[in-house]
Amino acid sequence: MSARERLARQQGELLAALVAGGPTPAGFDPERVRTQARALAAKRRDSALRAVPELADALGPRWPGEFMTWALVHPKPAEGGSRADVHAFASHLCERDALPAALAEVFTTREPSRWGRWRGWLARRAWGRGQ
Amino acid sequence: MRTAVGIGWRPEIDLTIERLAGVDFVEVIAENVCVEHLPESLRVLRARGVEVIPHGVALGLAGADRPDPARLARLAEVAGALESPLVSEHLAFVRAGGLEAGHLLPAPMTWDALDVVVENVRIAQESLPVPLALENPATLLTWPDNEMSEARFLTELVERTGVRLLIDVANLHTERVNHGLDPAAALAELPLEAVEYVHVAGGVERDGLWHDTHAHPVTAPVLEVLEMLCALHRPPRVLLERDTDFPPAGELAAELAAIRAVLTRPAVRS
Repeated sequence: MSARERLARQQGELLAALVAGGPTPAGFDPERVRTQARALAAKRRDSALRAVPELADALGPRWPGEFMTWALVHPKPAEGGSRADVHAFASHLCERDALPAALAEVFTTREPSRWGRWRGWLARRAWGRGQ
Repeated sequence: MRTAVGIGWRPEIDLTIERLAGVDFVEVIAENVCVEHLPESLRVLRARGVEVIPHGVALGLAGADRPDPARLARLAEVAGALESPLVSEHLAFVRAGGLEAGHLLPAPMTWDALDVVVENVRIAQESLPVPLALENPATLLTWPDNEMSEARFLTELVERTGVRLLIDVANLHTERVNHGLDPAAALAELPLEAVEYVHVAGGVERDGLWHDTHAHPVTAPVLEVLEMLCALHRPPRVLLERDTDFPPAGELAAELAAIRAVLTRPAVRS
C-alpha cells in the first residue's frame, strides 16, 4: 500500500466517524471526536440557516436540535452547498411525515418544478386533515 | 521595513473596510470570488493600491488526493484577476472517501503523510502564477500516532518545496489550550523567515477547549503569541480575520489598533 493509499484510509475512517456516524478510529480520544463532529455539524447548521432563513420559524422548538441530530450521521451532499443540505434534511423529514408545511412551502414556492412531489404531499396532507 | 496591517475582506463589511484607516492589504476567501464579477469594493481597494491575497479553503493540500486541477486553475485565475502577490491555503484535509468535511481537519504528522503533502504542494506550486503560503490550522483533535510536531512538519515542507508560510497566532493559541502546545517552542522551531503573513483572530473557550470562531473579539493571549512571534522575527504582514457576528466599525478599528500596538513595541532580542 502506498503512502497515499494509507493516508486515504486513515482520513477516510476519521471523516466517516466525524460526519457519517462511523466508529471512532483506534487511538483517537472519543470525546474529542464527538466534539469535532458537533463542531462540524454546528457549522452546517449555521450555513443551513443562512441559506434558508425560514428553517428556524418553520421548525419552531424542533430547531436546531433535529437538524443537529440528523447532521451528525448524514454527511453534507458533495454538491450544491447548504441549499442541497437543507433539501436533504427536508427530504428526511418528509419521509418521516414530519416536514413542517412552512418549510415544504419554501421549496414548492421557490422551485415549483423540482418540488412538485412535495406539493402533492402537502395537498394529500391537507386533504387528510379535512376528513 | 514596516509591517503591513490588513483585514479579511468579507461582503458584509465591504464599506466598513473601504472607510477604515490604515488598511494596507486584504484577504479574500478565494472560493467566494468570481473573476467575471469582481465585487466593486475590491476594485476600489485595488485602485488604491491595496494588495488582495486570495485565501483558499477547499483545496485540501494535506489530503490523500492530489489537488484538483480545476480548483487550482480557478485559484490561479483569481490571483491573476486581483494581481495578488501570493495565495494561501491550509495544512489540512477537507474531504476523504467521498465525504466532505465542510471544514479544515488536521493531517497525521507522520513522515508518510509528509511525502504525500510535499507532492501535493509541488503540484499546486506548478499550477499557480504566484508563491503559495501554507497556514497552520486550528484543531480540536490530534492523530494518535504523530511522529513529529506541526512546526517540524511545516519546516520540512518549507525545506523540500520552498513553500511560504502563513502563521495563524490564534491557531497556535488554540493548540496551546486544546493540546498543551508551547507556542514559544513552536515559534522557535519554525523557519520564520518563510512567513509571508500572520493571522490574528478571536475565538471562545467552551468546556476547556478553544474554538477558533472568528466571531468573537481578539483576546489578550492571542496578541501575546503575536508578540512572541514579532520578538523573534518581524513578519511582513499581519491580518485580522473576522467572519461573522460583525461588530461596529469602531470595534474592528480598535482591534487593528491593538495589533499595531504590538507591532510598534520594541522587539526584545536575545
